[in-house]
Amino acid sequence: MATVELHINTRKVNIDVDPDMPLLWAIRDFVGLTGTKYGCGIGQCGACTVHLDGNAIRSCSVPVSVVGSQKITTIEGLSEKGDHPLQLAWQQEDVPQCGYCQAGQIMNAAALLRGNARPTDSEITTAMSGNLCRCGTYQRIHKAIKTASTMNSKS
Amino acid sequence: MERRDFIRSAGVAGGLLLSFQELIAGSWETKLVAPGAASPALGDFVRIDASGDILFQFVKHEMGQGVATAMAQILAEELCADWEKVRIDFPNADMQRYQNDRNGGHDTGGSCTIIYQWDLLRKAGATVKQMLIAAAAKQWNTTPEQCYAEKHYVFQRNTSKKLAFGALALSAARLPVPARVELKKASDHQIIGKSKPAKLIPKIVTGELKYGMDIKVPGMLYAVIARCPVFKGKLKSFDAAEAMKVAGARKVFSTQRIAGLQLNAPYMPYDIREGVAVVADSFWAARQMQAKLIIEWDEGGNGKLSSEDFEEMAWNRATHRTDPTGFTGNANAVANLSHVRKTLRASYVFPQQLHSCMEPLNCTAHTGENGCEIWIGTQAPHLIDSEIRRVFGFSQEKIKMHLFPSGGGFGRRYYPDMAVEAAFISRQAGNLPVKMIWTREDDHQANLAHLFQHMEYQAALDKDNNLYAWYEKEIRTYTWSARYMDPKLPSMAYAIPNVRYDFEDMIQQELVHSSAWRGVDGHGRFYGECFLDEVAAELKRDPFEFRVSLLNGGKDTYVGDAIPVHGSRILRVLQMAAEKAKWGETLTPGRGKGIAVSTFGYSYCAVIADVTMHDNKLVINKMTIAIDCGKVINPSGVEQQMIGGIVWSLTALLYGGLPIKNGRAMHTNFHENKLLRMNECPPMEVHFVDTDEQTPGGVGEVSSPLGVPAVLNAIFAASGKRIRKIPLEMQGIGTTLREPIK
Ligand code: FES
Ligand code: FES
Repeated sequence: MATVELHINTRKVNIDVDPDMPLLWAIRDFVGLTGTKYGCGIGQCGACTVHLDGNAIRSCSVPVSVVGSQKITTIEGLSEKGDHPLQLAWQQEDVPQCGYCQAGQIMNAAALLRGNARPTDSEITTAMSGNLCRCGTYQRIHKAIKTASTMNSKS
Repeated sequence: MERRDFIRSAGVAGGLLLSFQELIAGSWETKLVAPGAASPALGDFVRIDASGDILFQFVKHEMGQGVATAMAQILAEELCADWEKVRIDFPNADMQRYQNDRNGGHDTGGSCTIIYQWDLLRKAGATVKQMLIAAAAKQWNTTPEQCYAEKHYVFQRNTSKKLAFGALALSAARLPVPARVELKKASDHQIIGKSKPAKLIPKIVTGELKYGMDIKVPGMLYAVIARCPVFKGKLKSFDAAEAMKVAGARKVFSTQRIAGLQLNAPYMPYDIREGVAVVADSFWAARQMQAKLIIEWDEGGNGKLSSEDFEEMAWNRATHRTDPTGFTGNANAVANLSHVRKTLRASYVFPQQLHSCMEPLNCTAHTGENGCEIWIGTQAPHLIDSEIRRVFGFSQEKIKMHLFPSGGGFGRRYYPDMAVEAAFISRQAGNLPVKMIWTREDDHQANLAHLFQHMEYQAALDKDNNLYAWYEKEIRTYTWSARYMDPKLPSMAYAIPNVRYDFEDMIQQELVHSSAWRGVDGHGRFYGECFLDEVAAELKRDPFEFRVSLLNGGKDTYVGDAIPVHGSRILRVLQMAAEKAKWGETLTPGRGKGIAVSTFGYSYCAVIADVTMHDNKLVINKMTIAIDCGKVINPSGVEQQMIGGIVWSLTALLYGGLPIKNGRAMHTNFHENKLLRMNECPPMEVHFVDTDEQTPGGVGEVSSPLGVPAVLNAIFAASGKRIRKIPLEMQGIGTTLREPIK
């Protein structure tokens, strides 16, 4: 066990955990933010996607000890009022079905838009193909990313 | 949030409550809720709090099929509510209070929810509205006839007077419930029939929505079970010394096989495997413990068998004369075919495969001396209730169940085993609260799956080349009962003079326990759409035209219950799909189209696949879907279900399978058991058939069986290759990533 300080969204949190524990479980079971989901635990589904210093990572595959002082952003911290262009576009295009994969989808898409404000169709498809959706919302996810990319960013 | 807490925290002065029970019984009554009051004595499905917000008490299960929103739309329409002020609330399970429809209240399966809730919710909404109007009339000293409701207000005609619903709720609750209410005309609908984004989206996109997986209760421990990797295998011994050294380890103990009641009413087909449970302070610790267990299993007979052995057994049963478990149709349909010109035969196989709900199975349970509390996302709280009572001997009042939406259900969450397992662990752990989680690996190695189906078809053509007889023999590993399952298949509406459907179960031989799987009856049955194409090819008929001619203008055929298979509706979806997909246009070599049609939940769906085949490489260019689901509640939601169903079936087509070697599942996670990804997802179009139907049908499971037969038929059209077994991956057909979605 070791004490780890996490910079997560706007908070700093100290937790006492096994340093090998994946960041996913630290976020969910120790910090108590459950928007980030467990889907596979091996980097295959993307449900656990969060940002480390703005880059999308699979939190199930990163030990909590390597995070250090990097800033973690989870779905709860993506925007203050739930009004990130992607969150608005997801509503407008009625994207989610069960919703379980969607935090990961949105976090992955947010990292894409951060580096590429107007991605092409194939850039979207390539960037999003690591995120599984068993309900089959791909067509709408694609459309909503397009929609978001044409909205004026509020930040 | 607990209802109690809500009432307190929202500072609600009072509320209007209507009971489902009484709606059904016809003697309705309202109840007041005082601030801080305990749960009301009567079940409520709608509450208007003092702020005027409507809290729709949603007692079905939301798992992505969109019923929470659709049900709220039906209610809000008749209530003349402001859609923005309608919220979804998830009350605890209540077996007495919520037995409110033919499907049994909480029960969510078989695409039945909207069908059975349609009348009930409209009446409910209209009743509340009428009471609000009566309350306003009383206040204004006028008659209800002088008042009307619109968008969350009651207005007095020819005056400027208006009162908000919220301001009227308390006084309305004191009025008698009207014995009769009038429902709106369809032409006046403003919410029903309009695309509305799902109500839960704001919570989904901010990570706020709580699934069963996200629950934490005070003092909660985490459990994982190492289940026997071989179905029906037994635990011989285990060594937990290393496991108990993991920091946070609490307990290790064996778990029992607990099987639901077998093949006799009330049949409850689940079968919990024996195993070893580990309990720890965190999921991560439990997981480490599970990995460190040393276990010896007695694998039994299944440990010597593999998928190939099982398939061979099925093949023998299918191709030799045996006694069917049951059949429907004409007993002598194929008894004497000596006079026919030609008979065709073909065997098709639909392998077992997983549900792969994105939210892994889980349940939190806290047992006590003679009762328990459960936190779960489930399609069937009533089955959990009855199985917990049966297994643990608790009485119904001592079982408290908190319900949550699920990250996918697809039929898997219809079975009560998660709750039974979790309660068992909680008890063994010393009546402590425990969250039991299936790891994704557990899901692959010990879960229930789509049934195995071997379909044996036979068709007889007479001397005039008419389809004289159709015979179908189905070998299956799952059935709810020993009788024939009364499926409604589109082929039943075809004008074929002699038809017979046999089925035989192989439940005792299965290597993986079978269950319902988005489509309920088993997708193998829809291979009939492929065999029909084989007949058309033999006759050199166009597959679409052939179906149209067999429908013979579209008559009704009665199968199983009072609602017929409507030939006319099959005809219309086929025609719409053909028109939209430009069926019959000239295609370049290597390209082909395939058609398939289905009916389920009193809805009808036709799908056309447009594919290109080059050197055993498949590209799916487009899927065109035509749907007639009767009255449409939420077009956007229906479109999602149609597309989601096709994505579901394309996964089955390309990758679906659960290969077994020496009794053990070969796949361990999503790198081996692949699901369709965005770069494999073809563009899809959904078209609604114009209809005068006044009642809605179900939409969750009507497109999901169609991707397989439509694409297989298209592959034949494109390449002349007839594929009778999936997944394509195993049939030497590769897929090429398509162009990005436009
Ligand atoms: S849970 Fe991390 S990628 Fe699936
Ligand atoms: S919305 Fe259900 S898994 Fe993506």
